Amino acid sequence: MSRTSLFITNLLLFILLSAACSVVQGQNRREIQDSVDIPLKIRAGIDVTGPAIWFAGKNILNAEGYISADINEKIALFVGTGYSDYKYSQYNYEYFSRGFFFKAGVDLNILQPEVSTGRYWAGVGIRYGLSSFTSGTPSFTHENYWGITSSSLESDKSWGHYVELSPGFRAELFKNFSIGWSLSLRKLLYPGTRSDIRPLWFPGYGSGGSVSAGVCYYLSWNIPYKKIRVAIKQEEPEEPPDEEDIQNQGINTNSQSLGGNRPATRFR
Amino acid sequence: MRSIINRIPGVLFVCTLFLAASCTPGSCFEETTADVKASFYLSSTGKPTAPDSLTLYGIGKDTTRYNKASRVQPALIPLDASAESCSFVIRINGVNDTISFRYSTFVHLISKECGYTYYHNLDDVLSTKHIIDTIEIKLRTITILNEPNIFIYY
Repeated sequence: MSRTSLFITNLLLFILLSAACSVVQGQNRREIQDSVDIPLKIRAGIDVTGPAIWFAGKNILNAEGYISADINEKIALFVGTGYSDYKYSQYNYEYFSRGFFFKAGVDLNILQPEVSTGRYWAGVGIRYGLSSFTSGTPSFTHENYWGITSSSLESDKSWGHYVELSPGFRAELFKNFSIGWSLSLRKLLYPGTRSDIRPLWFPGYGSGGSVSAGVCYYLSWNIPYKKIRVAIKQEEPEEPPDEEDIQNQGINTNSQSLGGNRPATRFR
Repeated sequence: MRSIINRIPGVLFVCTLFLAASCTPGSCFEETTADVKASFYLSSTGKPTAPDSLTLYGIGKDTTRYNKASRVQPALIPLDASAESCSFVIRINGVNDTISFRYSTFVHLISKECGYTYYHNLDDVLSTKHIIDTIEIKLRTITILNEPNIFIYY
């Protein structure tokens, strides 16, 4: 009798525990999100690096702003414009370059939607830049065996263009206010003047070599205009191998089972 | 994500250093004068042979470019950027000749550090023929590159 009651008690406990486990598992399944809401935004921002360098007395003023608009959770359209005023002098010449530039392109976000949530951005911008500027050399001197020759180059208005890659990061610090930075790697397509007197400074591009690099720190104001729901890619749990497969794999079974059931690492 | 955000100040610091380094003025380490590079050849053998003694000075100048210099190969002959022609007295192994250059001049930017120089397009080279046999123009554009512009056979 006591054995029968003990058996019934154990059976009831087993049924209760099994039921509880299945309920908890069901709840867990329901808690895993299969989508996330992403607010699409229009952003207006300014670069603070240019004014900082100007105040540091480097004779370079670079004022730049941009507007970008999210197309979806991965892609945003980008347009930017700015003004640059550059002066340089050393013992044998003086130089100036000033003008406006315009950039257009796309920003690609590499963060997963559940990570970015519309607040974080890490990725790369791809842009085409066009620059209209006036440059000149008010004076330069050259010395050789025949003596010192002084001359000047008249100011000349030119157009030039370039492409730019801008990997970077942006985070929403407060509601609708973001800060971020980006590197700018640029390739000059056309300097606007003949190669012998190419511009030393190119508004929006920087030093007039065939490639240039820079850093931007920017502040931006975000205006959410639409909310989209984006599906989250769920990882498929790997099914345990069949007993038949294990027998077929023979001696290699132990080494493969060490890591075989680990979930794949995701980039975050 | 939090770890990425925590690293922002460090990344900004490194980027600032990068920016500061990129703004540091550099020095000029390049050749800044575009001279005519003249290589000497023996006309009897056709082989490159530097003179035992070379003296060179510009007509109208009171200083010499080379003064009894030995084994000069190639000789660097500076042109007057403020004129369209210039002439030199060239003394090879004690025998004088006069050599004249006609050219056009244009401005060339070397680099931000070095500034501007003058390049030339060589139109013609004439000489007397006391010791010089012929002068052959090999490269008419006179730049800072180390390439021979004329061959002097003597």
